[in-house]
Amino acid sequence: MTRKNAITLLVILAIFGFALWAILPVDSEKLGRKGLHLGLDLVGGVHLVYEADATENATELDRNMKRVITTIQKRIDKYGVAEPVIQQLGDDRVLIQLPGFTDIDAAKSLVEQTGFLEFREVELTDELQLVTLGYYLEQSQLQFADRGEPGDRIFVMSVTNEEGQVEDRTVAFLVKDNDEIMLTDASGNPADSTSLQEFSESLSWIPATGTDGTHLTGDLLSDAAARIDQSDVVPVYVVSIQWNSEGAIIFDQIASKLFNAGEYGTPQRALGIFLDNSLLSAPQIRQQSYQGSGQIEGSFTPNEAEELANLLKSGALPMPLKQPPLYQEKVSATLGANFIEMSWMAGLIGIVLVMLFMIAYYRIPGLLASLALIFYVALVMALFKLIPVTLTLAGLGGFILSIGMAVDANVLIFERMKEELRLGRTLGAAIEAGFNRAWSAIRDSNVTTIIVCVILFWLGSSIIASAPVMGFALTLGIGVIISMFTAILVTRTLLRLFIHSPLGKNKTLFIIDRGKK
Amino acid sequence: MFDIIGKRFWFFLISGIIILVGIISLLSAGLPSGIEFSSGSMLTVKFEEPVEYDRFKEEMVSLGYTDAIIQSAGEGQFVIRTHELSDSEKAQLEDSLSGRFGQLTEAQFSSVSPQVASETVTNAAIAVAIAAVGILLYVTWAFRRMPRPLHYGACAIVALVHDALIAMGVFSILGALMGWEINLMFITGLLAVIGYSVNNTVVVFDRIRENLTKGIGNTFEAVVNNSLVETLSRSVNTSMTTLVVVLSLLLFVGATIQNFVIVLIIGIISGTFSSLCIAPSLLVVWDKKEWGRFIPGRKLTVKKA
Repeated sequence: MTRKNAITLLVILAIFGFALWAILPVDSEKLGRKGLHLGLDLVGGVHLVYEADATENATELDRNMKRVITTIQKRIDKYGVAEPVIQQLGDDRVLIQLPGFTDIDAAKSLVEQTGFLEFREVELTDELQLVTLGYYLEQSQLQFADRGEPGDRIFVMSVTNEEGQVEDRTVAFLVKDNDEIMLTDASGNPADSTSLQEFSESLSWIPATGTDGTHLTGDLLSDAAARIDQSDVVPVYVVSIQWNSEGAIIFDQIASKLFNAGEYGTPQRALGIFLDNSLLSAPQIRQQSYQGSGQIEGSFTPNEAEELANLLKSGALPMPLKQPPLYQEKVSATLGANFIEMSWMAGLIGIVLVMLFMIAYYRIPGLLASLALIFYVALVMALFKLIPVTLTLAGLGGFILSIGMAVDANVLIFERMKEELRLGRTLGAAIEAGFNRAWSAIRDSNVTTIIVCVILFWLGSSIIASAPVMGFALTLGIGVIISMFTAILVTRTLLRLFIHSPLGKNKTLFIIDRGKK
Repeated sequence: MFDIIGKRFWFFLISGIIILVGIISLLSAGLPSGIEFSSGSMLTVKFEEPVEYDRFKEEMVSLGYTDAIIQSAGEGQFVIRTHELSDSEKAQLEDSLSGRFGQLTEAQFSSVSPQVASETVTNAAIAVAIAAVGILLYVTWAFRRMPRPLHYGACAIVALVHDALIAMGVFSILGALMGWEINLMFITGLLAVIGYSVNNTVVVFDRIRENLTKGIGNTFEAVVNNSLVETLSRSVNTSMTTLVVVLSLLLFVGATIQNFVIVLIIGIISGTFSSLCIAPSLLVVWDKKEWGRFIPGRKLTVKKA
């Protein structure tokens, strides 16, 4: 018996150690971003819910919704918002959460804008040399290298991002404003040549136009789809595209021009696909003429191919979003920071008070239950972090409430133990009887609470401003389940081990019968 | 030995009075609902300089916001609740206010369309209803070996409705006095109360189940009373530990989740009372078919137990 309990204790300690490892501060942040996952109402930010206007496009609602979401995602990614959430809600709604974004109007215009899809080619000098940003930086009086093309230039450079992937990033623009040519940085602010020096290698992209000067844009594209190309030995994912009648003519004019401009594999042969001034892809032109259809090859994963196809089709959102949004909320971060501190404090004081109460009332069993409570808190927090659970105001409330309820199982068991002791049982027998007899009450009462949590969580997802309801249900539900484990298994193991120790013979440490019967 | 069940009609009277007062308050003052339920916009503005409430209110009225509810939220900070503002309306309002009172920061802004508000009301009501049915089914199932298991489920639901009514009634009275509005945190708190109430009731019922199986006690009433007394210290202690935690939540976290905490406190007290005094008493009343006592003017035919 003792041996089995000792093994159980070792397992419990191992889980405790793991939980502690999981919740130990990362970069000295107790409850920060890198620690627990905090909801928008705690870190501050913008929360928007839009409804798509599907009146014109009702047949392919689901597909279109995915495209809406991909497009919004792409736009938001450019702004470097940390951990944005863009999700479909129900059939025709989009949820957008931008943590740390404080300007709700800017966020709305970012989402509501219609994207611009266009095709570009690299700019060449009269000597057919590639034009780079460096070429323009060397000029004292800015003049376009390709005088025939009066449009804006976009400078794109390949950079390695934080995840170690190479991506094409727009670094600068050359724009013509009131007959004056000037350089701007990626955000569109005028820039001086020294600040742009580091990007001097970036290539200059000019609009790809047909012989009559018509710019090839997303309007001229009639369809795009991801598919598998079986023609090669190894099937590969490609994106097939289809131009409308006007697009087919212009595209062939451009294709033949680019085909003759350089060797296969050189930038001169590339057709740059730009969405809102960002380079999505730069496939090589392989033929002089495509007659209205073509395919983009690359080492695409199925998802990448699907995403590119979506973006090609949805340069503009495939369905407009109804305005104003159904729901909009901006939370300032200051409220959150203060709140976290205070909740931390409330939780700590709550735990200490509960422990004091338990020890005062139940003595040794109370002390052991307090240890189980510490274990409980560590385990729940570790789970919050590992699952991860996004903690909101209400979620923290649910967690703190669950601390109060976590000792309920212990209270039930100890009350039962006291009764059994009064009936004259030995300590060991009373402990076992206490656990066995209290089990049905613990099970039934907790199952009803879990039922409420499950229903809340399930229904919460259909409420738009659902964060509080779902957060509360999730944290309370996890709390109740874990507390059944800690209050029963941990406390019982500790108690069994304790009664076999020398102190365990002292019955007064267990029973607090003040002589009344 | 305490005789709790013997005083059952006193408990019904106490609860009845509290619920009646609550319902009167609910009917007259209502539950002032926040924008989540009634749609509209809520804007918190903060000025660099302290601004008097009256002057602010005056300015809002002169800007045409006669319907706006304005609350002071600290020095130079106001919460404005009004109809759903469009982007241009909001920009105009902020411009006018900063022109009058100086530099303004928008601390918080939220806006809910009527469509979402009505969905929220419906879904919250459905959530409560489904939760009640789920509890009724589970409790009835858990007590399936008892005679008349449905009684247990039904009494647990009555206790739950009792707690929800008291929480809403008391909140309505307090709300009318302090100008509180119900929001989603209130609903969350109410649902927590429901869960808590059933949890407590089931513990008492569990003991009744055990004692009935053992065949201790002569009458059903005596069994119920014994079970109550045996679980009394557990009920009080668990309520104590939960109250302690909730109170520390109120003291340290304060206004942000005040609705949630207040509902919980009312609910914990009411839930403890109902699980000890209402639900078991109802079981006894139902068992003895004492319903006649609830009808005024009818002769009391209850035998002394």
